[in-house]
This record gives sequence, structure tokens and C-alpha cells, in this order.
Amino acid sequence: MAQQHGIIVLVDVDNALTDRTLDGNAFWFDNMKFLGSTGEGTEHLVTIVPGTYYSDGSQATEQVLNWLPASLGAVPPTVPRNYLAEQALQTDRDALADLAAVGSGDEAGIGRIKDQVGVNAKQSRAAKGVTTAKVLDATGRVAGQNAAATYNYPAPVITDITGPAVEQQIMYPAQYGSPDMIYDGWYWAATVDTSRPGIYSYTMHIQLHELIEREDGLVWQPVDLTCTSALEIISDPKRNAFTGAGLGVLPIPDLPPAP
Amino acid sequence: MKPKVSIVLLVDAVGALSDRTLHQGNLALVDDSPYGSRNGGTPELVTAVLPGQVVQWTAIHVDVQTPVEIEQIAFLGPGEGAEPVTGAATPVTRPDPGYAAVPAYASGVLLAEPEAPASPYTAAPPSPLASNGLENHDLLVWEGIVPFTMAPGVPYRYRLSIRLHEGPNSVLHVDTPALLRV
Repeated sequence: MAQQHGIIVLVDVDNALTDRTLDGNAFWFDNMKFLGSTGEGTEHLVTIVPGTYYSDGSQATEQVLNWLPASLGAVPPTVPRNYLAEQALQTDRDALADLAAVGSGDEAGIGRIKDQVGVNAKQSRAAKGVTTAKVLDATGRVAGQNAAATYNYPAPVITDITGPAVEQQIMYPAQYGSPDMIYDGWYWAATVDTSRPGIYSYTMHIQLHELIEREDGLVWQPVDLTCTSALEIISDPKRNAFTGAGLGVLPIPDLPPAP
Repeated sequence: MKPKVSIVLLVDAVGALSDRTLHQGNLALVDDSPYGSRNGGTPELVTAVLPGQVVQWTAIHVDVQTPVEIEQIAFLGPGEGAEPVTGAATPVTRPDPGYAAVPAYASGVLLAEPEAPASPYTAAPPSPLASNGLENHDLLVWEGIVPFTMAPGVPYRYRLSIRLHEGPNSVLHVDTPALLRV
């Protein structure tokens, strides 16, 4: 087996929400450039899938694809998802501790604590991946009463993978769970049928979350967008490395090396 | 007679590239020979074989995201090879670089293993350039039949070269493993 493919989908969330499209706001990257992937770092990635087969025609290599979404200007995806929740709890604890020290008439003190507590945003029922209600910035601090433009977007969520590569049964994507706290413990992966070489496109469905101010307060509103990429399937025969063709005698010298 | 002996190479690619050696626990060789192989789990594996058996080498990467392939298996003739079969792992002597040390990629002790001349007993490897015009070592199956000309009781050492992804420093090798006809 060659190795597992990692495919990163980096989303400029802020601009994608402004433009209401992932065109120009999604950047794809994989680890297979050395075997022929093209368009690394752009929205036109074509991921190479180098299949191999034995002389009897059977598939010799299983290729596994793993998709990982990432977002620009947010907490890095390698930080555990509960980091923001922990930070939110901590700001509440700090505010409670300070509250005990503030007198009843101390307006300035009350205002300071309000800033410390920050604001909460509700989750829309359709939102899939928001793990904390408190509005925080990218460093995990509360975004303040105004929840200005400094707030941290929740990580993009892949909600589905469709398109010709799936319909024609070239790959079989599914969402898997793991005990890993990163990515909420969920990720999308697929295995690939390499018996039918060609280029097959697929559509990735990504859910972003936008902070909306409504009469009853702030709410994380889901925004569903799509972007496309492609797989280039190739398939080559396996060969014996010593002979270049079929099985042969090992190229062993007449005399062994000195011990 | 067991018709096939498998030799599996377990490679810690990140460790090997960091230490710039396949020693220091970065490579473990194991086989399933029933005839009394020695040094299993180390780069000094001596695999006990019988003539007519098929021996197959397979590389397995500890880190699934890093490609690890066999670059070359070349049996060594008399006087070839730098490392003894049963000796300790070649110590790589280098000062503690501390933080922000400049890595000695181009010269110095880290690249001290000399490039030995190609063994005249090794057939030229087939061109692996068949995969979309790019090298794909995954196409190669490393297996062969143990010849009857092999002298019993003597270890035939071979140079095992392993490719870790690509680039000028991606190929590392050991001269310590061997086949031994029982």
C-alpha cells in the first residue's frame, strides 16, 4: 500500500460568508503531489489515486482518503475541540469571583464584569458543529459585549460528499467516529475502486456558521455551501522488483560477504 | 517445506528521518521462517531459508501518512558492506544540537555512511517510471526464489535501502540483514 491520503479543505470562513460561495474561498491541499496530484493550495485540486493490480487482474492496493476541514483565522484544528468550552467556563468562574468583590453601587465594576462574561449565542436547530455558546475570539478570550468582528468562527463541518465519483461507485465516502477530541471525533473517509481509471469529480458539502443578531439575541445560523474537487484514478501492474517481470531466482553472489 | 517466507520491515519514518539512520530502533525486521532465524525485531535479522523457497520483503510504515517503500535490495559480495552481521548498531556520533542548531544536511558526520559501489550481482532494477510518468515504488514486488547455489551455514548479507517519501535525503540503508541457508 502506498499510504493514506490526507486531503485538507481550508476555508476562508469570513469571506465565504460574505460572498455566500466557496468559489475562491476554499483551498485544497493533499499529500500526494509527489505521485501526481495537481492544483495543490487552490480550489482546483485533482487528487491522484495510484492504483495497482496483480498479474491476475486483482486489485493490489487499497487507497484510503481522509478529508479534514480547516478554517482561516480560527483556532487551529489541532487544538482539542473542548478548548473553547473550557475557556468559556473559565471566564464565567473569573467573573463570579470578581463579582463577590464588587459593591452594589459600583456601576463601573458591574460593567467590567459584563465585559468579562461576554455574550452567548444560541444555536440554530440546523447547526451541526457548534460546540460552545459563548462568543469567543480566536485566542479563546470573550469577544466582549459588542461581539465585534473579532469573534472566532466555529470550524467548518463537512456534511456530505456527493457527485459523479460517488454515484459511479468510484469511492465510498462515509463519516467515521473516533475517540479523538480533535475534529469533534468525527471525520470523513473513503476507499477507492481503482479498477476504472479516469478523472471523477465530487462535491463537498460544507456547513459554516454565521453569527446573526436577532430580537431575542445572537444566534449561530448555519450556512450550507458546496465546493468541488476531483480524483484522478490510475492503475498500473505490479512487477517483480528483482527481474522486472515475473518471479525469478534471487540475485545472490557466488561467495557470501566476509562475516 | 514452507513454500514462502515473509520478511516484514517495520519503519518509523519520522524517527529515521530525524535521526538520519535506520538504526536506533527506527527499523525492525521480522520474518515467519520456521527454521531458526536470529535477531528478529532488529536490523540484524538473519533469516533461515531453504533453496526453492520464495522470500518476500514488505515494508510497513508506523506513520500511515508517510510513504515508505523498498528502494533496493542488493546482496553483498565478498568485501562489501561496512557493518558486521552480529555487531551492535552503528553508533551515530553527533553533538547534542540543542535548539536551533543548523542541521548538517550537506556534509559532516550525519551523512558519514558512504555510498558503496553497486553490487555486480544485482540485476539493474526495472524502471519504476511507469506510473503516470512518475516514480511509483509501490508497483514493485520484492520477492525471489532462494537458489540452490547458496552455500549452507553462511549468512549472505544484503543492503536494504528504504525510501521515505522523496527528496535528496530520502533514501537510507542498512547492510546488516542476511539470508542463511540452513
